[in-house]
Amino acid sequence: MLHIDHLSKTFDTIKAVDDISFEVAEGEIFGFLGPNGAGKTTTISMIAGLLKPDSGKIRIGSLDLDGDLKKIKRLMGVVPQEMAFYEELTAKENLLFWGKLQGVRKKKLEERVQYYLEKTGLLGRENEALKKYSGGMKRRINLIIGLIHEPKLLLLDEPTAGIDIQTKLNIYEIIKEASSKGTTILYTTHNLQEAEELCHRIAILDLGKILAMGTLNELVQIVGEKDIVIVSGKFSIDQARTIISSFQQATVLSIEEGKIVFSLEASKNISTVLEEFFKKGITIDDVSIKQPNLESVFLKLTGKELRE
Amino acid sequence: MRNLFYLVRKDFKRKWKNPVVILGFLFIPIVFTVIFGMVFGSGGEGTLPQVKIFAADNDQSLISGLLLGALTQGELNELIELEAIEEDEGRKLLDRGKASALLIIPENFGQNIWDGQSTEILLIKNPAEQFLPQIAEEILDTMTLVLSSLRHLFADELDTVRELADLEEFPDEAISALSLQFKDRIDGASKYLFPPVISLKQITLSEEKKDVEDLSVQAHILPAMAVMFLLFICNAVFEDILSEKESGTLMRLRISPVNLTEYIWSKIVISTLIGILCTSLLIILGRVLFSIHWGDPAAVALLVLCLNILIAGFIAFLFSFVRTERQAGALLTTVILLMSMLGGSMIPVENYPPVILIFSKLTLNYWGITAFKKIMRGESLATILPILSVMVVAGVMLSIMGSYFLNKNLKKGISQ
Repeated sequence: MLHIDHLSKTFDTIKAVDDISFEVAEGEIFGFLGPNGAGKTTTISMIAGLLKPDSGKIRIGSLDLDGDLKKIKRLMGVVPQEMAFYEELTAKENLLFWGKLQGVRKKKLEERVQYYLEKTGLLGRENEALKKYSGGMKRRINLIIGLIHEPKLLLLDEPTAGIDIQTKLNIYEIIKEASSKGTTILYTTHNLQEAEELCHRIAILDLGKILAMGTLNELVQIVGEKDIVIVSGKFSIDQARTIISSFQQATVLSIEEGKIVFSLEASKNISTVLEEFFKKGITIDDVSIKQPNLESVFLKLTGKELRE
Repeated sequence: MRNLFYLVRKDFKRKWKNPVVILGFLFIPIVFTVIFGMVFGSGGEGTLPQVKIFAADNDQSLISGLLLGALTQGELNELIELEAIEEDEGRKLLDRGKASALLIIPENFGQNIWDGQSTEILLIKNPAEQFLPQIAEEILDTMTLVLSSLRHLFADELDTVRELADLEEFPDEAISALSLQFKDRIDGASKYLFPPVISLKQITLSEEKKDVEDLSVQAHILPAMAVMFLLFICNAVFEDILSEKESGTLMRLRISPVNLTEYIWSKIVISTLIGILCTSLLIILGRVLFSIHWGDPAAVALLVLCLNILIAGFIAFLFSFVRTERQAGALLTTVILLMSMLGGSMIPVENYPPVILIFSKLTLNYWGITAFKKIMRGESLATILPILSVMVVAGVMLSIMGSYFLNKNLKKGISQ
């Protein structure tokens, strides 16, 4: 459904997106995982037609974004990070407005409005101005606006940022339902649990490049059986590197003053490693061990932790 | 076209549900008109406001009595409200702004006039008022000039009068001699006085000119204020573009089948419509509250339409130069205020020197106010048609240019 081919975009001297390619099948939820500045939003903006790529091709179905933008707009729904609706208007007025712009016929539109309001638990409050809604309720409306015309491709840019777990689960349910009906979903997030929970496949991005891509299982294979260990304390870069390099089973992933991230074949060896630190008179403040999962994959690939 | 309709209807609903800003801007011209009406008097028909003058006569002589009496004679009586008062009390009341000026006639004023010595009267003006004390000053200037001239012309006769005044009875021969003396003086002076070198030509104003004077203070103020605040209202509507850019709705619209040109034109259309509604409301309020005769309804309706097309185009054009709300605040407010000042929304252009009037004519305020006044003065639709045509052509051209540049500006802004 979505074909991205060698896409690049540079702002001044910064390469925001650096030659990325991927394909997303119909009905697939494809996670775009990466820290801030990884290039997720720039990629989404290019797919949405807001930004012109410096090079590369974007195709949606059989349509080329370059020549068929008008047709593509009708096939596409977007849920931005911002609450992009009119707060003075009621939920119903907003949904009707956005639906009409997408060309949905009146009867069909009213059915869908009713359906989604019920689905999100907002039925009965549809005639209240959105400025009176809570953050979670606004997030749900923000999502419905993107879905009201039942798009073929839905671009979701961190749609669950800063909301309660109940709303999150409600949003997940709606996204999964849309996917089961055949909507292709490109889901950007920096929440690893979310990506694990929702996405069929995940691409890990950093500094504009796709570092790895595949199903959760495929990605976890990258780490293998190794655990990821993060040690914080009062040590210099050289001290920590010397200690870790002395262990054959350990590989340094990232290192900075007072913090080192490394992979270790069996975490039971961690006591031996820490002993070396103590022998050198180094104070350790914190040690954490990550079992092989998306987070450890991300750490291994980027050397960075990913936090919401 | 359908999208344009949806966008306009959406904005109309939004403004309807949150009308505070627009109502605020609508309220101000009415308040200003009420205040100006109270300051300058509400009546039309060319009536001037009455100048209240306190008069402290410390001389209490025949001459001082004559001077004060003269100030309340004939037409001056309609213009001046003179109130005799003690000097100290007068000063206190003037400090409290109870009159436009305090006239103080010093002791021995009459005696000095009889003696042909120079003397002076004191006029203290109320600093809080601008125009009315000026009127008092002009009147008294003229009267002192006349009084001095009379004293010089009839110096001998006045001396005789003074001597007679000291007698218990006026002898008939002396009175008749004095009469002859006055007659001879006037005959002698008549070759210099008549025909007068400067004569006051009395003319009856043409019907057109007479109507100008018939406009009430409110009929001057309300259209002038209305044009200025219509600019602010339109500006408030266009500011939505920046807030929509901020909130993400503009980006969402761009991803939808709406194109930017449709979006910008929806703002031009909605601001024109809101402008028309606001102007109509002001016209109705002007009629109800201030009895303003707006003139031919068809001409007024056409003017309201054309003026608002021009205003929307002008603001759209200005908005194409701004990217942030701060920039909009700075540029738009400055331009609107400057244009309103030059164009007659704050000060009637009739008071401007010709050099400023050149710039006045470059403002839309000038043409809007001029057209309103022409219709109020009963000019036919045909006579204001050229102004209206220019308004529409300029409005449409500015809208097209504004739409083009705003489109480019927004494309850049959203992408970044």
